[in-house]
Amino acid sequence: MKSRKLFALLLALCMIAALAACGQKAEPAPAAAPEGSTGTQSTGTESEPPAEPRYLKMAVNFAYPSLDAHKDYYGWYTQIYGVTETLFRIDADMSVKPLLAKSSDVSEDGLTWTFELADAYFSNGNPVTADMVARNFRRLVEVNERYDDWAAFTFEAKDEKTLTITTPDVFPTMLVALTDPEFAIMDLDATADFDNAPIATGPFVIKSFKPEGDVEVVRSDSYWNGDVRLDGATLFYMPDAESKLLAMQAGEIDCYTSVDAAAKEIYEADPSSYNLTVIPGTRMQFYVLNKTRLSDNVCAAVNLTVDCEAIAAYLKGTTSAAVGPFVASAPYGQVTKPAPDPAAARALLEADGYVLNADGYYEKDGKVLEITICHYKSRQLPDLAVLMQEQLKNVGIKATLVVQEDPDAGYVATGDYDIALYCMIADTGGDPYYCVDALYRESGKWAKAGFPTDETEALINKLQFETDIDQRAALANQIVQMSIDENAFGYVGLFNKVSVARPGVTGFSENIPFDFYGLTADTDIA
Amino acid sequence: MIKYIGRRLIHLVGIMIAVSFLTFLLMYLSPGDAAMKKLNAQGVSVSEEIIEKTRESMGLNRPFLVQYGDWALRALQGDLGNSYKDGFPVADKLARGLRYTTILAFTSLALALAVALPLSILTALKKDSLLDNITRLFSFIGNSLPNFLISVLLMYFLCVKAHLLPLTANESVKGLVMPCLALSIPICGRFIRQFRAEILEQLSRPYVSGAMLRGVKQRYILKNVLHNSAISILTIVGLSIGTLMGGSVVVETIFRWPGLGKLAMDAITNRDYPVIQGFVLFTSTVYVLINLLIDIAYSWIDPRLRETGGGS
Repeated sequence: MKSRKLFALLLALCMIAALAACGQKAEPAPAAAPEGSTGTQSTGTESEPPAEPRYLKMAVNFAYPSLDAHKDYYGWYTQIYGVTETLFRIDADMSVKPLLAKSSDVSEDGLTWTFELADAYFSNGNPVTADMVARNFRRLVEVNERYDDWAAFTFEAKDEKTLTITTPDVFPTMLVALTDPEFAIMDLDATADFDNAPIATGPFVIKSFKPEGDVEVVRSDSYWNGDVRLDGATLFYMPDAESKLLAMQAGEIDCYTSVDAAAKEIYEADPSSYNLTVIPGTRMQFYVLNKTRLSDNVCAAVNLTVDCEAIAAYLKGTTSAAVGPFVASAPYGQVTKPAPDPAAARALLEADGYVLNADGYYEKDGKVLEITICHYKSRQLPDLAVLMQEQLKNVGIKATLVVQEDPDAGYVATGDYDIALYCMIADTGGDPYYCVDALYRESGKWAKAGFPTDETEALINKLQFETDIDQRAALANQIVQMSIDENAFGYVGLFNKVSVARPGVTGFSENIPFDFYGLTADTDIA
Repeated sequence: MIKYIGRRLIHLVGIMIAVSFLTFLLMYLSPGDAAMKKLNAQGVSVSEEIIEKTRESMGLNRPFLVQYGDWALRALQGDLGNSYKDGFPVADKLARGLRYTTILAFTSLALALAVALPLSILTALKKDSLLDNITRLFSFIGNSLPNFLISVLLMYFLCVKAHLLPLTANESVKGLVMPCLALSIPICGRFIRQFRAEILEQLSRPYVSGAMLRGVKQRYILKNVLHNSAISILTIVGLSIGTLMGGSVVVETIFRWPGLGKLAMDAITNRDYPVIQGFVLFTSTVYVLINLLIDIAYSWIDPRLRETGGGS
């Protein structure tokens, strides 16, 4: 009898719980503020209902255990959350604009940079001083391995608002480097908990933070750089593409970036409910031809075969066909490459002594022309590998696909490939040097493929120290063009930054190609 | 029995050493390392010098046995170390993941048992009836559907169409419902089929026919049948607990549930040895302890097994 009563009690509890869960419908109201929001209160009279709080709900792809902007890549996300800012930022037109800095100047010898700081304040009201900026930079160098090279630089506060950075060599990309989100300026004296509650200069301050989870921010009432339109925002950590699509359809989020191809099609079919923004991004899909294993004619034939436009069309707008590593609108993106020409590709192979066999593949001395395409499972590279395999097959080149989990420790390190597929950020901030340095150096990771020459190395060295912007672009174009003319590289696509938002949601950096921008003072929801 | 438990706990130490050594070896032999993964996390290339320096500072250049020995010595003192990825204590990360995985695992199991037990008894008693056929069909479908598909279907119907549950409510009671359902449905399907088969097996035994011929009431027969099926049922449930406690990467990722499965997956991707080792130690301990508990339960259910050393 006792057990029956217990069972009945448990059943009743289950039913109550189920009813409670079912009774509360999730309202797809995008502008609803969360419980306890400290957003600005309405000043309306009794007859006027208080204005709806402007509260944005956004999905993000990554979540980190800390908000310490100087460590690891955490600064990318504190900047996306609108909490931290840097001395300079990159605009939609890829130009570097001052933010916490008012102006910059470089000495004649190119070794000393002088920055005048803007009249900026931290969210606690403390002013941003040159001394604080210098200490932030020193801290970054100390806690982030990626900035070890900066240990040779000297950061000095000349007065309250004047900062100098002295470098041992000419460093023309200083302003671009200072746009890295890791160069965020935090109040080092007032911040007690860098991991959970950094005090910085952004338009928003942290309200709640779950390590590797969701983040809530509210408007900083003492923001120094104009009005902040939103009252606050919740940034939901949603790594799964399906979850983001369904959350958008259910009205639970208002916007997100990195929309995948399947979701993009769905949003495109309903333009009255979703605003889709597609702009060329900075991540590049490319392949490297191993010139130590493939003849010049075979390399040229591969490049004449791979049809980047067809690949971009297959990938349904998630990438744009590329000519070089940079967007064609950039001054350093002015390169050309031959249009796909399968007939010319076949002619090159035949000139190399290959003949077509009964299976439709080229062979020489009874040996079929077979090349390996190494790739890894990320950034749509498996799709690209299959598409390239198909295109090569159509001209008579047999391609074998090899997939590895870690390319950097695998085929990139060993050089054991005929064609290596790879994806990287090509443009970190409006300057070509980072990409050129990463791709074409004699000491670089792709040198095993046999492209770098003394000439390219000399040009890269020149680019490293060239201070004139036009000259830098010209040098970069020359180097990239050499990589194309030598058939050492194939630039396939630039990932588009695809963002979706409900009508009325604007200004969440959907028009800036970089991944590390998000909420700003101008982000708004109607 | 105490001697037996002691023996099993001593075995546990051996298992933990073997499993942790093998895992460390496999991770060491696989390409890539934590320094490279950490520095290249966002697709930004870093110079080989910086990678090498980071490798050095993380101690990744030391010989394998030195690295393993260093970790094992500290683990013996209760220090699982810090994550290579973010520097946070492994114990804290595991404790947080464990909390959520335990909640999800046991609610899913309870739900699956609450549905599967009565249904499997009913379908076994009414073999080949309409109820039996329908239940078998649904249990077959439930068992066959992959987790990700169940998850997406649940989200679509419960969140997008019916607005019954919020998609963004993770780490809360509401947030528990869908991952719990997504995990329970396949388990429930499997339980129903396995429990039903075991009960049918018992029902076909001579002692049941004899009891029926003697006019023993059905409820007493059923009680005996269930008692005799308990060992098999317990084994099936025990194995499921072990699997569930390891976490479910797919369900945790889709429903944003911060459990151990996603933690382990991220650690493997990032070659975060301390976290992987901590996870392996934890899961091997859970498996051994659950098996031990089940063995103890065997002897409790069937005292004859005590004489033969406690079960399986």
